[in-house]
Amino acid sequence: MEEENIEAMILRIEHKSKKIENLLKQSKPVEALKTALEVSPTNTKDQRCKSANWIVVHRAMMAIRDVDGMFSSLDPEYYDILMKYLYRGLATGDRPTCDQCLRIHEKLTEKAGLGCILRSLADTVNTV
Amino acid sequence: MPAVEVHQLAQCITCHAWSPDRTMVALCPNNAEVHIYKFTMDKWERVHVLFKHDQIISGIDWSLRSNKIVTASHDRNSYVWNHEGSEWVPTLVILRLNRAALCVQWSPKENKFAVGSGAKTVCICYYEPENNWWVSKLIRKRHDSSVTSVAWHPDNIFLATTSTDGKCRVFSTFIKGVDTKDSGTSSSRDLKFGEQIVQLDLSSSWSFGVKWSPSGNTLAYAGHNSTVYFVEDVRNSPSAHNVAYRNLPLRDLLFVSERMVIGVGFDCNPMVFTKDDTGLWSFAKFLEERKTAQSNSKYGSQFSEAFGKLYGQSRHGANDGVDSLRARGIAHENTITCIIPLQKEGDKIVRRFSSSGLDGKVVIWELDYNTDIPE
Repeated sequence: MEEENIEAMILRIEHKSKKIENLLKQSKPVEALKTALEVSPTNTKDQRCKSANWIVVHRAMMAIRDVDGMFSSLDPEYYDILMKYLYRGLATGDRPTCDQCLRIHEKLTEKAGLGCILRSLADTVNTV
Repeated sequence: MPAVEVHQLAQCITCHAWSPDRTMVALCPNNAEVHIYKFTMDKWERVHVLFKHDQIISGIDWSLRSNKIVTASHDRNSYVWNHEGSEWVPTLVILRLNRAALCVQWSPKENKFAVGSGAKTVCICYYEPENNWWVSKLIRKRHDSSVTSVAWHPDNIFLATTSTDGKCRVFSTFIKGVDTKDSGTSSSRDLKFGEQIVQLDLSSSWSFGVKWSPSGNTLAYAGHNSTVYFVEDVRNSPSAHNVAYRNLPLRDLLFVSERMVIGVGFDCNPMVFTKDDTGLWSFAKFLEERKTAQSNSKYGSQFSEAFGKLYGQSRHGANDGVDSLRARGIAHENTITCIIPLQKEGDKIVRRFSSSGLDGKVVIWELDYNTDIPE
């Protein structure tokens, strides 16, 4: 059962990836990020799914140039999950990724408050 | 300005409780003693020091009608203090714990008290008149980690607990000979001592500060993930509502009325949550207004410097540091760990309450009559 669900999730992530490439070609990076963040595999333990989704989120995130503009069209429901991915990004240690994550982190903390950071740190069950 | 009185009574306070007539406050100044202060003339005078515990006292409760103080400490013991003459006489309660006691509360009828512990157990203690001592009955099952707070339902039987395993549970503490069966309320199976009525697994992080609403219909507790959980109709069909907020986590809650909750915690400023007509809970406002301009201290000045380093930009040095903390203009300077009601018996709404925290202050708050408190 679990196997089927995981395969279904991986397929969905691949599907998401194609959608995101299209959106990026149309210069819609914020839409791309929203698509990437939607239905993230937080409630599974499978690392393959999580890594696959991270790659997709990373792709969309790195394409963002205007961080302030992004927040004017990103709904608050995405804040908590975005914060979790920012910390995953910071954990990679990769310079360009970390620079982008820090840029977004600053604005996200302003928008969502310290509670958002707490929620990403305290939740050891629904991880990205 | 809701903070009516601010009293610096120690360097750091772990917990506090008020006497029935509200003239005296018992507090633990972060050591093994209980200090009782009385407000005489216009200053606070330390009238008693209760010295029996070996380690920090983590919980104090002062019963309204029977005027007894119960204390619980990290030394795994609990004492019930009786006022005889001018002295407070302790009676040891053998809790049978092998870890610290973390919280304690008298039941509404004051014939029992509950102690939460780091031993993953809850002790329900009742008085046995034949032997003139307090007996402890343990609820050993169910908890996977330390019990951080306990709260009695108005019916004197159900007890809610929160734990560092993230869950909130409700148990029956029915004791034959102490409690009387209320005809028609519940089946006898439910009433068995230690029976778990419901387990709420809503938070994926430590939970604190569970409280029942005055009628016992709503349960609220705070999660360490900056979320407050409100659960309606716990017994029959529990429906939960989470409120995730912007700020640092809360440590304790207080039901001011059926539809208003005040939370205190790491933000040093009490937070007000209200339930609207559709039954939806939400964060309304901070109890106190911060006086300084928010431009330089967006997250609170103690973080500005840290964030400055994180983002690699320079921040204006003028407003940083300890000075701006005081300049924030709010009563507490450090984490508030405890909030208790100060209403007179029979009052339906709590307009007056007090808070204590790691800054050693006891602050008395009063919601003036202009403030609309939704009932």
